[in-house]
Amino acid sequence: MFFPGGLFVIAAGLVYEWIDRKLVARLQNRVGPRWFQPLADLVKLLAKEEITPEGVNRSLFYLLPVVALAAALCTALYIPMAGFAPSYSFRGDLIVALYMLSVLTICMGVAGANTLDRFSLLGATRTLTQMFSYEAPFLLALLGPAIAAGSWQINEINAYAHAHPWDILVFQVFGLAVALVGTMGKLELPPFDAPEAETEIVAGAMTEYSGRGYALFRLGKNVELIIALTLVASFYLGGISNPLDFLLKTLGLLLIMAVLQSLFARLRIDQTVGLWWRLGALLALVNILVVFFIRMKGIHL
Amino acid sequence: MDNQVEARKFIVPIGPQHPALKEPGHFEFSVEGEVVTGASVRLGYVHRGIEKAAESRNWTQNLYLFERICGICSHVHATALTLGVEKLANLQVPPRAQAIRTLMGELERIHSHLLWLGVAAHEGGFDTLFMYSWRDRETVMDLLESISGNRVHYSANIIGGVKFDIDDQRKDAILRGMDFLEPRTRHYLDVVTGDRTFIARTRGIGGMTREQAELLGAVGPTARASGVTRDVRVDSPYAAYPDFPVNVVTDEGGDLAARFVVRIKELFETYRLVREILAKLPPGELAVRALRRVPAGETVSRVEAPRGELFYFLKSAGADKPDRVKVRTPSLCNWATVTQVAVGHKLADMPMLLSGIDPCFSCNDRLVRVNRGRDSELMSWEALRRYGIEYYQK
Repeated sequence: MFFPGGLFVIAAGLVYEWIDRKLVARLQNRVGPRWFQPLADLVKLLAKEEITPEGVNRSLFYLLPVVALAAALCTALYIPMAGFAPSYSFRGDLIVALYMLSVLTICMGVAGANTLDRFSLLGATRTLTQMFSYEAPFLLALLGPAIAAGSWQINEINAYAHAHPWDILVFQVFGLAVALVGTMGKLELPPFDAPEAETEIVAGAMTEYSGRGYALFRLGKNVELIIALTLVASFYLGGISNPLDFLLKTLGLLLIMAVLQSLFARLRIDQTVGLWWRLGALLALVNILVVFFIRMKGIHL
Repeated sequence: MDNQVEARKFIVPIGPQHPALKEPGHFEFSVEGEVVTGASVRLGYVHRGIEKAAESRNWTQNLYLFERICGICSHVHATALTLGVEKLANLQVPPRAQAIRTLMGELERIHSHLLWLGVAAHEGGFDTLFMYSWRDRETVMDLLESISGNRVHYSANIIGGVKFDIDDQRKDAILRGMDFLEPRTRHYLDVVTGDRTFIARTRGIGGMTREQAELLGAVGPTARASGVTRDVRVDSPYAAYPDFPVNVVTDEGGDLAARFVVRIKELFETYRLVREILAKLPPGELAVRALRRVPAGETVSRVEAPRGELFYFLKSAGADKPDRVKVRTPSLCNWATVTQVAVGHKLADMPMLLSGIDPCFSCNDRLVRVNRGRDSELMSWEALRRYGIEYYQK
């Protein structure tokens, strides 16, 4: 139950959030939060009064955060968390996992559109717009290793990547870039934080959420961070076979993400869409073509 | 300043409380999708009645009061007031005092421009630049503190001179600070002109032609970024500027990128000026004795604040208190440029566009017009005075 179950995923999500915040802070010449800050934030938010704004559908307002977190936690069942075999595995679970990952974003979009607040509505529009921009390249990027492995099962792709690490890393380097940056788009991290740009639209779709609902959404995002990092590491970085492997690879990816976060100014939503469809989709397609070619010729390093 | 926005449009309110604004002001942007179709400004949330308060304080007390109009460019307010009073009282201020005044003003310009750079970068979501520029700003804040003992309100001016002297030790410290800041500023210039994501947010945004800038009465770096050579330090030099001439920095771009470039290049000019003043600091007294009463008369005092032309009108009736003081701050002159150029841009550009003029809200709130249904009326000064007297007699 605890290891590597749901509580472990949540705890790991909080720790990774702290590492991310601390790294970004150090890169920006700040001190950064203490190690228990994400947990303290969570406890504080859970204990706070939850305000239901006027004009919302009450059941949706309370249900959406729960669905978002549940979907994120369910995804964790299908991935080799911390290097252990997934709890459930069947043919085609990659597709299920990827759709479950999108549920959080959709929930946030609907939650924003559910309220009457203008910042929420704008944030919801931007959240969904951003989803339609990064989702296709992100999917294509994760399909590359799947095609190379000839399987739609996460466990088998992981095993294949472990057996042929350099094949994937060398031939699919574009795919790795798109998948990593796609993770940042999914989690609305800078420079893709237009949907929650605080200097423009306060907190975007989350503006009207306080207390529990907000805590659950944030927790959902933390869980997604862990899942997305695990997926990218197991597909592209030679698989994950043991906890040490998991730690090294995911933390390495997190470090790259932290550097990217502090390097750029925020992209406007139209620039985000342009970037993904002009560059992201193109790179992902090139990646897929390379994978097809190599598989046809049967090239191995 | 309350342009009516048509009803039934999707209006995004920004302020008076909003994460983008550290000071209160209310902006309404009507949008279609992400594109702004109309903008209006409402000011006056931090109206403090300073001009009225000045009439019941003597000139020396007013020096402290007016320094508190602005928390960023406090020294230029005090300078504008003292220069005006000295003109009225016909005082000959020693050259060393004028040079130290100018020096403090230029150090303040450094801290103000670096502060603006950080804030503007933060509005564009570039927090790394924000943190680094504010870290470097601490250098000049420490210098100002070591000279005056204060980080914000230096109180360097007194009527007839200055309070603090610059000795060799402080001179060395300031020069060391300039030597540290110059390469840092060069780096920031590289960032704002070279970083692709940053340029994508600034180039071609908020473009204002030279004609528009002149028509809308823009001042300071906002005007200079549109190619208007307008700088009080050059047009009518005050304090020590006749002895230490300034080269005006302009740019033809007219957009946000140009405003970044102009302000950063002005920093280099300021570093040069600070070094020159320190090298040629005239010897002599720090202040002359001023009388409590200022001869009757009216005068206008203009200085170049970091944000542009700061205008003081002073009227003395021969007493130890002013009869009337009128302040017009540069932020007020620049508002029209924001509402004019906002239309057609994306909502995401608005925070950067707003901060592009380096607004200072509490500075420019001189007048509030409260619209309370049909009770609204405008009163003349005499009518208001009569109303006040009758109100308190009841």
